[in-house]
Amino acid sequence: MFTFAKAWVEERGVSLRAVTSSIRPPPPSSIPPSRSGASVALEDVSLSVTTEAGAVEILREATLSVAAGEFVCLLGPSGSGKSTILNLIAGLSRPTSGRVRYGDGGVTRPGPDRAVVFQDAALFPWLTLRANIEFPLKLQHWPADARRARSEELLRLVHLWRFQERFPHELSGGMRQRGAIARALATDPAVLLMDEPFAALDSQTREILQGEVERIWSATRKTVIFVTHNVREAVRLGDRIVLMGTRPGRVLHEEFVDLPRPRSSNDARVATLATGIARRIASEVEKVAREEADDAWVAPGDHRPGDPRRQLGRGI
Amino acid sequence: MRDGTLPRALAITVARLIVGYGIALLIGVPLGTSLARSRLAKQAFGPIVLGLSSVPSICWLPLAIVWFGLSELAIQLVVVLGAALPIAVATENSVRHVAPSIERAARTMGADGARLMLTVTLPAALPGILGGAKIGWTFALRSLMAGELLFVSGGLGQLLETGRDLGDTALVLGVVVVIVALGRLSEVLLFSRFDRAIARRWGVEEL
Ligand SMILES: Nc1ncnc2c1ncn2[C@@H]1O[C@H](COP(=O)(O)OP(=O)(O)OP(=O)(O)O)[C@@H](O)[C@H]1O
Ligand SMILES: [Mg+2]
Repeated sequence: MFTFAKAWVEERGVSLRAVTSSIRPPPPSSIPPSRSGASVALEDVSLSVTTEAGAVEILREATLSVAAGEFVCLLGPSGSGKSTILNLIAGLSRPTSGRVRYGDGGVTRPGPDRAVVFQDAALFPWLTLRANIEFPLKLQHWPADARRARSEELLRLVHLWRFQERFPHELSGGMRQRGAIARALATDPAVLLMDEPFAALDSQTREILQGEVERIWSATRKTVIFVTHNVREAVRLGDRIVLMGTRPGRVLHEEFVDLPRPRSSNDARVATLATGIARRIASEVEKVAREEADDAWVAPGDHRPGDPRRQLGRGI
Repeated sequence: MRDGTLPRALAITVARLIVGYGIALLIGVPLGTSLARSRLAKQAFGPIVLGLSSVPSICWLPLAIVWFGLSELAIQLVVVLGAALPIAVATENSVRHVAPSIERAARTMGADGARLMLTVTLPAALPGILGGAKIGWTFALRSLMAGELLFVSGGLGQLLETGRDLGDTALVLGVVVVIVALGRLSEVLLFSRFDRAIARRWGVEEL
């Protein structure tokens, strides 16, 4: 099913590139030629941390394989380890057991080939938008004129060219997210990891940015792993949706989204698919809630009898 | 006697301030940074820094004189101790409170170690460090005045002392005015530019 999607993408990617190369100078929002995606895989990855309260199992035997150029959405309740998975792939944390693979090798540390877009954009407040976009290039020792050309290109791509000299606090939330996407694309990563990038935005802005992400992905064919709480967003963007469960975080279910692109959140087929997935999530959340309630119910021995808060409502 | 004396005393005081404060910055910022980032440093120096910073630095003058005699070194020790500790404490706090996503973002771009610290963490902590630097400056000025008053060695403090010996109220008040002016002027010259830059970048309201 997703080979079909891939073929579609390839076709579209190639044709778009052909268009951009035939026009000189490039039009304002053309997509620069770029490195296409690399495959990513989690093999039986578990992660536990020890806290003051004891060992906490964050992720249990998560297995996930993402093909090069695929757009995968991670969907799941809070605390199901979605951000943890992105951190593992980014190399920001290491698994307790299992392997995190990237391309032909394993992930050992962070690198500019795997870029992350954070929920809060995480632009550097002391740098202008342009300097933010050029920052990763500076770390790679690009010469100044090449940096400038690259940031110019990216500013146009995300339609922020006019705002290049602004500081992050002078931009709207949606602009900051677009800036963060531009910065993430600067080093031409093979994998783009997006952690609820649009969660704090209004629905119109969100819709527009979803369109931009889809457009950029279609043209660059990077591997994208996109975390969201929003089922429609997942259906609208993903080739495949991976459902995660909590306590401990694990992969529950996968679903291919076999709809033509570009999609719209208001498409009836998107809505139908979203409803089905939402139902599945609801039953999982309910299960967790029930378990939590049961825990409290059957284990009163854990509470010290002297704690007056535990006596509230007794005997009513 | 006024002509020449006051400017010379002022020059001596300013020179001491600049040297002492400069050394305090060079000690305070790295010390605060390592307190925030290294458990070992925190365990080794944390209690000492906190303990020392609650003692008015002029209390070290007798000890400094025993160690170094009535020398520049003794008075500089007092100034440096007075300024470096508040700078270290403020730096520690602001480095510790840099948003984790800022540093994580930088790490995904390949920054780590000293480069991460210099190009990302310290700039991100700059507003807090600047606050500490301002406090450090006033502490340096106070410690220096106290030191100069107690131990005769040129400078504005000594001039105050001379005024007292001669019963010259005008001289005493004149020197006090100069000290106030020095404090205000240095603040404007040293810090207002940074304040404005930070207000512009971080979007803090300017009063
Ligand atoms: N350093 C840590 N120490 C202890 N627990 C942690 C740590 N980091 C994460 N956790 C726990 O791991 C679980 C998964 O966290 P994670 O941030 O990956 O969830 P998430 O799916 O991204 O949730 P959300 O949708 O709320 O962002 C949570 O229960 C969290 O409390
Ligand atoms: Mg998360």
